[in-house]
Amino acid sequence: MTLQNADARALAGRTVQMAISAGASEAETLVMSSSSALTRFANNRIHQNVASEDSGVSVRAVIGKRVGVASTNREDDASLFACCEAAVEAARLAPEDAAFPGLPQPRPLSLEDRACATTRTFGAGERAAAVGTIVEHCASRGLTAAGQVSVSDTVIAVANSLGVDAGMPGTTCRATVLAMGPDEGSGWASFAGRDTSLLDAGSLGEQASSLALRSASPRDLDPGEYTVVLAPDAVAELVQFLGWYGGSAKAVAEGRSFMTGHLGERMMSQSVSIVDDALAPHALGLTFDFEGMPKSRVALVEGGVVGEPVTDSYWAARTGRRDTGHALPAPNSFGPIPLDLEMAPGDATPASLIASVERGVYVTRFHYVNIEDPVTATLTGMTRDGSFMIEDGRLTHPLRNLRFTQSAVAALASVGGLSSERRMVGEEGGALAPYALLERFAFTGRTR
Amino acid sequence: MRGFSASCLDAASSAGADYADVRVTDTRTQDISVRNGIVEGVESSTSFGFGVRVLADGAWGFAAASDVTPDAAARVARQAVAIAKASATVGSHRVELADVAPFDDTWSGTCAIDPFQVGLDDKLAVLLAADAAMRAVSGVALTQSEMGFVTVFKVFASTVGSYIEQRWSESSAGITAMAVDGGEVLPRSYPNSHGGGCFQGGFETILALDLPGHATRVATEAAALVSAIECPSKQTTLIIDGSQVALQVHESVGHPTELDRVLGDEAAFAGTSFLGLDDIGSLRYGSDIVSVTADATIPGSLGSFGYDDEGVPATRDHLVRDGILAGFLGSRESAPAISRVSNGCMRADGWNRTPLIRMTTVSLEPGDAGSLADLIADTDDGLYIETNNSWSIDDKRLNFQFGCEIGWEIKDGQLARMVKRPNYTGITPAFWGSCDAICSREAWQVWGLDNCGKGEPMQVAHVAHGAAPARFRDVTVGVGR
Repeated sequence: MTLQNADARALAGRTVQMAISAGASEAETLVMSSSSALTRFANNRIHQNVASEDSGVSVRAVIGKRVGVASTNREDDASLFACCEAAVEAARLAPEDAAFPGLPQPRPLSLEDRACATTRTFGAGERAAAVGTIVEHCASRGLTAAGQVSVSDTVIAVANSLGVDAGMPGTTCRATVLAMGPDEGSGWASFAGRDTSLLDAGSLGEQASSLALRSASPRDLDPGEYTVVLAPDAVAELVQFLGWYGGSAKAVAEGRSFMTGHLGERMMSQSVSIVDDALAPHALGLTFDFEGMPKSRVALVEGGVVGEPVTDSYWAARTGRRDTGHALPAPNSFGPIPLDLEMAPGDATPASLIASVERGVYVTRFHYVNIEDPVTATLTGMTRDGSFMIEDGRLTHPLRNLRFTQSAVAALASVGGLSSERRMVGEEGGALAPYALLERFAFTGRTR
Repeated sequence: MRGFSASCLDAASSAGADYADVRVTDTRTQDISVRNGIVEGVESSTSFGFGVRVLADGAWGFAAASDVTPDAAARVARQAVAIAKASATVGSHRVELADVAPFDDTWSGTCAIDPFQVGLDDKLAVLLAADAAMRAVSGVALTQSEMGFVTVFKVFASTVGSYIEQRWSESSAGITAMAVDGGEVLPRSYPNSHGGGCFQGGFETILALDLPGHATRVATEAAALVSAIECPSKQTTLIIDGSQVALQVHESVGHPTELDRVLGDEAAFAGTSFLGLDDIGSLRYGSDIVSVTADATIPGSLGSFGYDDEGVPATRDHLVRDGILAGFLGSRESAPAISRVSNGCMRADGWNRTPLIRMTTVSLEPGDAGSLADLIADTDDGLYIETNNSWSIDDKRLNFQFGCEIGWEIKDGQLARMVKRPNYTGITPAFWGSCDAICSREAWQVWGLDNCGKGEPMQVAHVAHGAAPARFRDVTVGVGR
């Protein structure tokens, strides 16, 4: 059974005391309790339909400058104490880390309830009904639908022996729709939010199926550098790669970030601002990090100028920066990470962006993007689910999928316009992204 | 666990399931990482729970929980049936399963030294020694050393009548040195990138790697990459080391031969496949020397087990034989589409995930080109590359692009200048069709891979690939350089 917020916070606090009893000089516990369900569909039927619930406790034990971590999903006292002992034992054997600043002191938090009752009661029947609506939209047009409708109900609580006591419930709802037709046509639509009452399955089915019909019978395009108009899913991919791999103080300090050596410099177009803001009303994630520190709004890029990276308590101390509250669960070898990214809007419409392009490519989304060079944020990946030729300001014909190999930093230095409309898309906490016109974007190959 | 699993199956049947299976899984892990001489993480974890999968009204349902109690058994089983009945309300397709015999059996993986009986200090000693040796090399900016261990006890029972207990351990370790210069990060890894070498087995597999013994070479190569030449943009003859051939097999043979992808079940997330059901026996996948097998019976391989998560015994099967598509990776649900029984490829990432079709040990069979040195000596002009750095492939598994850590030009049968950040691209059947030499069995080894992502919710599978260095003609390299 999953835990309520108060129970999770109580469990976190109780386990901290156990860890101290087990020999830790300082201790931190993280409790995560979640109920989730996901209905997957393909070939116009539901082919996987799953639900699970789990609660886990993770203990970070500190002895001086030594740190050990252990976790368990067994909640009885004997198992919890054994977990605490394992963390303490690991800390005893670990070499000292002279740079370890100790666990963070408590700071004022803005604890919100980001859970929606409608999402909590959105069961298998409701998910199937949403899928049925999507499938009906697609099948009635001779298309095949695939995708998923999912919900989660999660409580996360953090406590430490210095007085940190944070807990927060949250729900999420996500849906994706891929419509596929004959003659290689495919279209995409997605939804990410907290509240299932905002999920409009019919609209998603309509968007994806219209795009699939329009993208049938694609033509080849020679690789080369083109002006592109990217839809929000594609823009979010660039923003998330920049943020996740380049936006942390650890990556900056180690010379692995596009920010390294360029703080305060203009690297992108003036219209580009990328911020991480978990406190924004549309944000899906926690308002505190996995150390129980308040998340701050951080401008990674402001007006094209490189701003500041995100930190956690360790990397704030190591680099002499403020703790922005972006810790992952301990032990965290990845470093701090921005999970609530958004790109500032412009004043254009998607139609006006397309209308301003003499010859270019419209991209609905990317597929299987990976990073070739973290410093330049050079990415490679494919287009999919609706790419079109733009000629004289109009979408003229669909294009077969293309491979790109392109620095995200350089691409965002050639922004020719951003839409005022933004959409919440992408993985993890999601990213809020506009449509973007990029003057120069390198397509390096094409598929069959 | 017999009583508990029986109560799950009974509750599912009583609630209306036509078929049910249950997996109870107890997993223990330990992960240790050292970076620049600092121990960044020492973490252990345990996870215990069960999942019930049912067919009711011809559709699937799955539910899982972490409280392994009689009350939860009944509750979760009924929940799975209710979910299956909701699934059945969309579409008219009814799932039919290929037959499988009932088994009452136990299976254990190879393990000489239980990794959880080895002290943390012994493990740290290996990592810190390797890390220190790398940091002693001038020009190295960052070092990373890591180890991981997993022990799994899994019970499977089904309404077919099977009750199967399996136990195994996994061990992994690797080191990476990075040079950072002029806006470039240049990594060099041993024995592989992305976590290192991964094995089914115990601490003996880690000791055999001799991480400290390879640290100086790895670091020296990383430092030398700073002054290496850029990868030229051209078409050339390409020799790929075994570890990268393993990933090439993974992405361009393993995934496209998964029957669930071929049938469209993964379309919206990971994509489909360029292959069709009717391609068996006729589609030319590669040159005549290209044969690929799927084998879940290789001792010590990360892709081995006694039975898959549908209770199907481990098998060895051909996916490509003499260059022609010969089969697919299948399941009890998908196998009837090609008029076969399941070849046992269904596995789940833990107790709270439903099984998917996953690779076992999918291997490029060895050729007769001798050693790597023999193959290079047999090549007048080209490029030799080692160790993956990045990967990407399209949603039908046709257009791929891989980056590697290091390369060398080949001139007159010898390695010449070092090349930094080499990459290459191609189209799957044309690329495998250009394979004209594969090294012999002495150069062939199994490469474990513990980060294969697939499905929604995301599942990470531990798989493996046997591979030897191989040569490909007219390959496009230096993309975007």
